[in-house]
Amino acid sequence: MQVDIHVEDNDNYENEHDHIVDNSSLDLEAYANNYTGLARIYRLMFIADHCSSLRVEALKMAINHVMQTYNVALYQTLYKKLVDVTASTNVLPDVAGGGRVGHDLLPQLDQTWIETRNKKAALKLEKLDTDLKNYKSNSIKESIRRGHDDLGDHYLDCGDLNNALKCYSRARDYCTSGKHIVNMCINVIKVSIYLQNWTHVSSYVCKAEQTPDFAEGKDNNNAIFTRLRCAAGISELACRRYKSAARNFLQASFDHCDFPEVLSPNNVAVYGGLCALATYDRNELQKNVMTSSFKLFLELEPQLRDIIFKFHESQYATCLRLLDEIKDNLYLDMYIAPHVPSLYSQIRNRALIQYFSPYLSADMRKMAAAFNTSVHSLEDELILLILDGQIQARIDSHNQILYAKDVDQRSTTFKKSLSMGKQYARNSHMLILRAAVIKHHIQVKD
Amino acid sequence: MTMVSNLEEFVSHVESYTINGKFTELCEMLNKCHELLMSELDNLDSLLESFNLENHSMAILTILYVKLSSVRNIAQPITLFSQLTDFAINADSHQIQNVPETFADLFHLYTKTIIDMRKPESGIYTLEKAIAKLQEHPAQLTTLHGDFCQLCLLSKNFKPAIPVLDNDITSISKEGNNAFDTKSFLLYYYYGGMIYTAVKNFDRALYFYEIVITTPAMTVSHIMLEAYKKFVLVSLLLNGKIMSVPKHTSQVLGRFIRPLSPAYNDLANAYQTSNYDDVRVCIRKYSEALNRDKNMGLAKQVLASLYKRNIQRLTKTFLTLSLVDVANRAKLENVQQAESYIIEMIESNKIFASINIKDGMVVFHDDPEKYNNPRVLEEIERHIERSVKIDKQIRTMEEKVELNPSYIKKVNAGPEDDLSNQKLASTFSV
Repeated sequence: MQVDIHVEDNDNYENEHDHIVDNSSLDLEAYANNYTGLARIYRLMFIADHCSSLRVEALKMAINHVMQTYNVALYQTLYKKLVDVTASTNVLPDVAGGGRVGHDLLPQLDQTWIETRNKKAALKLEKLDTDLKNYKSNSIKESIRRGHDDLGDHYLDCGDLNNALKCYSRARDYCTSGKHIVNMCINVIKVSIYLQNWTHVSSYVCKAEQTPDFAEGKDNNNAIFTRLRCAAGISELACRRYKSAARNFLQASFDHCDFPEVLSPNNVAVYGGLCALATYDRNELQKNVMTSSFKLFLELEPQLRDIIFKFHESQYATCLRLLDEIKDNLYLDMYIAPHVPSLYSQIRNRALIQYFSPYLSADMRKMAAAFNTSVHSLEDELILLILDGQIQARIDSHNQILYAKDVDQRSTTFKKSLSMGKQYARNSHMLILRAAVIKHHIQVKD
Repeated sequence: MTMVSNLEEFVSHVESYTINGKFTELCEMLNKCHELLMSELDNLDSLLESFNLENHSMAILTILYVKLSSVRNIAQPITLFSQLTDFAINADSHQIQNVPETFADLFHLYTKTIIDMRKPESGIYTLEKAIAKLQEHPAQLTTLHGDFCQLCLLSKNFKPAIPVLDNDITSISKEGNNAFDTKSFLLYYYYGGMIYTAVKNFDRALYFYEIVITTPAMTVSHIMLEAYKKFVLVSLLLNGKIMSVPKHTSQVLGRFIRPLSPAYNDLANAYQTSNYDDVRVCIRKYSEALNRDKNMGLAKQVLASLYKRNIQRLTKTFLTLSLVDVANRAKLENVQQAESYIIEMIESNKIFASINIKDGMVVFHDDPEKYNNPRVLEEIERHIERSVKIDKQIRTMEEKVELNPSYIKKVNAGPEDDLSNQKLASTFSV
């Protein structure tokens, strides 16, 4: 099977997350240990790009990790980055980083390692290739499938994602059972996530779910099911469909959440929790997040748990303050970082709407205090919500009171029906005329 | 002397055909006599005297046409024009129905002649009468409609055009064997839209432009292109955004016409931001194109409307707001300007508000209309009446289709009936 490889348009993605975090409380070691393979390297690289204080440490860890693989190209890039970073920090008298960073601590570029690794990689590739050819000449389906998978694994290890994707998808023709197909799908999904090819991810999630064996033995497949849900969640998140992302993450099963090649259970908690908070209403939040099995995930992220509970208890000031506290850490997560501003503003809007919902009138000074903001900027936020139709209210700017709008149903109905009548007459006249036009063959032509 | 006898012969032929009611033969004969009449230019007036409008409208039509086509050689064009007006009013409509094409041609030529003579205002009345003569009913479109609107536009005299334009067209006249000219159809609606725009009836103007841009098209028409530009501007004035066009709109619009008018698309995008400066910069950037299209005036109206739209937005969100804040939020220069805009808008019933000068506050009210007075009832009844009328009209059209022999034949032919049948039915059953 041929797979089209195309990088999706990530322009806005690139632009929006150049947010730099200065200080972070992140425990890099523990964080990195949550992931394996490329996920760990990519995440460390992301942190290195976005956090000044952890930059050097993150790069070093990434290099250490990359040396266990065949990914020579990535090693060289990372090393170059590290050199650049240390050079620039040495020029600038950086007090915070000065103690840890120095030329003497910088490891040398391991030329011999590069050479041996390259050789080994080539040898292994050759061996796997011949193996595969042998399998093919013997036409043993199962062996050919494995051969393709092994080759894919090797390419992945070398960092050649496109070839890995090709190999994994070629295995498809040799799948003999539903389990194999699901396995193939998971492999493709994994690589597609690394490539950030989100349409691919969601289509393969669908494919895996439609495999007959998988659909039947759902109970035994919890681990795979959770993986698929997480993958779908990430892809929905990347496409800014937050509600659907939340739904996917919330279906993950805590006891079977094992997907270190992509994300950790902590990530599931954060992604799912934030998306749900931004898009679910109070009842949905209560039912699907706070009292469901997802609670176990939330225990991993006590801060987020507190945020959700405070939100539900209508303690918006605390909730927003806590949200601000975790903001920096969110900016260091490669998948959620680009969405932080829009998720935060959605959460805030939801809070504003919920705050006002029980009132007929509300003192904007008190409201501003509850949301840690000034009356004037609160006014601006409210205007947008009112114009958007999300809050039915009007602002008394003189007395600084927000009044719920008293909608006169009778007048609105009259108004609506009159305008609808007008529209009807207009459209009908146009159609009658059009009938005449067609009858008389009126047409612009050469 | 032979010439005179030729004319005498002409008169006696006309007489005999008319008495026997042989209009088709008469028509054929008249078409052959153009050259003869052309050579007798000086005697035509006396010839006219031997006919009367009641019985010999067709003959008079031919003579007038010949006279008009050689108007340069006529000493007293004024007499000719009054003869034409007289003809437009008093000609026998029954006879005209035999030669609608020639009748229309006569007045096309007339329009062209007076435009060339730079006297467009002199023809408005005549054209109005001519249209009425040619029409079977007031809701019928003739090829003269476009000429009429052109004269009104050129003489900047819009009043006479409005009653004509206000008739919603339901049928199109069949002038002779010729198919109705697409150009004159487009021109009528384009000119009509311009007249409505000029008298600031933007609602109707938009309707007219929309008709132009939704006319079936295989290729770009310049009339359509210009109509689209005005459509965009009037859309912005009326609704603040480009109105969506119906699905049956030709693909030509999206594929060619839209890309051909970048200035207008950019202007619409700038308007969407509600940012006054963006719009102003955009207009300045495209001033050359706007001037060339003669749309600068409209563009300036669009710009001015943004202030009002911004103030109107405020009424939706505020109960009270200080004048200073109004000026800030609507990006006006100063408080005085805000005040004058608000007063103007209150007076024209665009917003409902009162200004408290002492505190410098504006209090926005709800629409005072409670829909509980006889006037509303009357309006609703008028609307209902109109809708019932439309419904009736559509039902008559449907019946006509159902009684159409070829339609019945196709429906009875079974399920394998071809596309044109379905198209026919769906066109009329909407």
